[in-house]
Amino acid sequence: MRSKLKTLAVALPALMAALSTAAAADPGITDKTIKIGMFAPLSGPNAAYGFDVANAAKMYYDKINKDGGINGRRIEYILEDDRCDANDLVAAVKKLVEQDQVFLLNGGSCSAATVAAKDFVVRNKIPLIMLNASGDGALYPPTDYIFGAFSISQYAVGGAMINFAEKTFGVKRLAYVNHDDAYGAWNLTGAKVDAAADKVDLAVESVSPTITDVTAPFLRLRASNPDALLIVTYARPAALLIKKAREMGFDKPIILSVTGTANLKQLAENVGGKGALKNLYIQDVLADAPGGPKIKWVYDMYKAAYPELAKEPDHPQTYMPYGVPSAEAIVRALKAAGPEPTREKFLAAMKQEDFDTHVMAGPVKFGPEERAANKSTVFMKYDGSSLQMLPGVYTTRWTYKN
Amino acid sequence: MRSLALLVALAALVALPFATTGYVVYLANLLLTFTVICLGMHLVLGEAGQFSLAQAAFYGIGIYTSGLSGAAFGWPFPCSVLAAGLVSAVVGLLIGGLALRMRDIYLALATFAFGEAMQWVLMDWTSVTGGPNGLHIAPARLFGLQLLTDKQAYPAVLVIAILMLGLAILLSRSRLGRAFRAVRESEVAAMAMGVPVKSTKLIAFALSAFFAGVGGGMFALYSTYIHPDSLGFQTTILVLTMVVVGGLGSIAGAVGGAIVFGLISELLRQTPSYQEVIYGLILIVFMMFAPKGLFAFLGESFGRLRRA
Repeated sequence: MRSKLKTLAVALPALMAALSTAAAADPGITDKTIKIGMFAPLSGPNAAYGFDVANAAKMYYDKINKDGGINGRRIEYILEDDRCDANDLVAAVKKLVEQDQVFLLNGGSCSAATVAAKDFVVRNKIPLIMLNASGDGALYPPTDYIFGAFSISQYAVGGAMINFAEKTFGVKRLAYVNHDDAYGAWNLTGAKVDAAADKVDLAVESVSPTITDVTAPFLRLRASNPDALLIVTYARPAALLIKKAREMGFDKPIILSVTGTANLKQLAENVGGKGALKNLYIQDVLADAPGGPKIKWVYDMYKAAYPELAKEPDHPQTYMPYGVPSAEAIVRALKAAGPEPTREKFLAAMKQEDFDTHVMAGPVKFGPEERAANKSTVFMKYDGSSLQMLPGVYTTRWTYKN
Repeated sequence: MRSLALLVALAALVALPFATTGYVVYLANLLLTFTVICLGMHLVLGEAGQFSLAQAAFYGIGIYTSGLSGAAFGWPFPCSVLAAGLVSAVVGLLIGGLALRMRDIYLALATFAFGEAMQWVLMDWTSVTGGPNGLHIAPARLFGLQLLTDKQAYPAVLVIAILMLGLAILLSRSRLGRAFRAVRESEVAAMAMGVPVKSTKLIAFALSAFFAGVGGGMFALYSTYIHPDSLGFQTTILVLTMVVVGGLGSIAGAVGGAIVFGLISELLRQTPSYQEVIYGLILIVFMMFAPKGLFAFLGESFGRLRRA
């Protein structure tokens, strides 16, 4: 009897401990696998911002699996199309979390749509590691669960572009065109901080992403007699503005943000040829020109992972490498979370990340109150056929104030 | 037979949250919301024959009214949903007073312009709407309880959808509904029969806005965020497509169109490479083989089968 009691006394706490561990185990993780839910625009007009970006993250996970996985676990991913639309993105996120039971989310290429998922993931304590959305609206004020801006924070882009224009061309008056949406508003906030610091006057025009005639905003900007033109729009308004600048004989430097460079070959055609690009500078966030020696490994990996797709025209898409840093950050944090990872351990590891991705111009760096991965950017000269990297890495003086 | 089908459908809707995941319930909430918006489109276009393209704008007014009133005054959700419908209806009445001086394509263009202007207002009235940053919607409340999940919001969404469906049926069968159809068929003949054409069209327009506004209030029950980007012309076209595909002029068509087309759209999300092609093909097939709408097509097919 006594020996039975003794056995029970030993077995009961062990059983309770086992049960409590089982109860505490997060969804999406087994002894053999870790399930990651991915989402990106895979169809429609915004697919250029996410299709190959998601492919890049997938190929990185495949490589990790090939190398033995993370602490003996293989990565399983499920990819959903969010169409860059808030309702569709929320549907994708809810499907991944509630139906597919993923451990964490890795997705979002469109900022406004991605912000729509914020309250759901925070309320349900699901880690959301954005793909390439700037997503500043979900990063400030910081939460424990959302990390993003792996391409770059829009606050940083705005400030860095002013910084570059002032240092490179000594400008005192700048014409600045952004979008009349959240993306544009974040960018302008950063730009204003650096313009004030550098004593640069800004003439601002905010245009719709679907604008079809830029004559009026361009004439208003030209009237301010600017030393350079800064464009932080998507590709279509950017092409219209550059074309209009040529038609109106505007020969001062034009500095275009990376959002307008989805297809550089197409840009050269849309602006009416190389003549319009004589004085064009492009902001970018990669460590090297696309395909350059520093980031060649990403393009090689893409060709090996998707040999058929790589043969198609316009592939890999311009933003393809942006998919790697978030996947790198996730893999590092999962490794750091140890052999028995939980969502809380993973999130704690994410907050401490500070590493060079070997893809982007700056490091991925988070902190106790910092959820935007990248704030560094570089600039290149583009003449319609080739890209020439310019020296220096630029950032903003904007900081988040609670 | 019809009563049995309705009972089965109702039982399935009641059982849904107990048998499925939150994701499925979210889809159900969204489909029920669009059902109500489609019922509004049915009233103004299908019943009264007025080509209004402002449904997304009224839906947006409903979302913002509900979200803002809930946050500012702490109203329980029945009040904020009702406020959403009423504010949309008042705006609809004002806009209708101006727009309904026009007909056909001119009316469509005027209401389209209003929709675009409203999206601009929502985007630029930053101090109230959050502008381009969007608006975070506080959880809906009732008697101190917060609706924090899709499953918690679902009963409220379902009850409101059923009430709105009942209201649409009542309206359709009422004297007003007959006046709507008389105006649709011939304004001159309606006038000769003593139907006050101008006020009838205005009422149809305001009722349509009310339905869309209530739809907005329903959205605010289970959604936590709204951005003006979601309230553009694309949303109006989606609603119009649902009503036309379901069957213009019939309540069953509006309800069925919203559900079938909403489900097709969500299912196509699983096949990203081909979805645009499949979506286009479905529309072409519907227009070619079921121009009167899905439900009229099904009814005729069953009729033929029965006769055979």
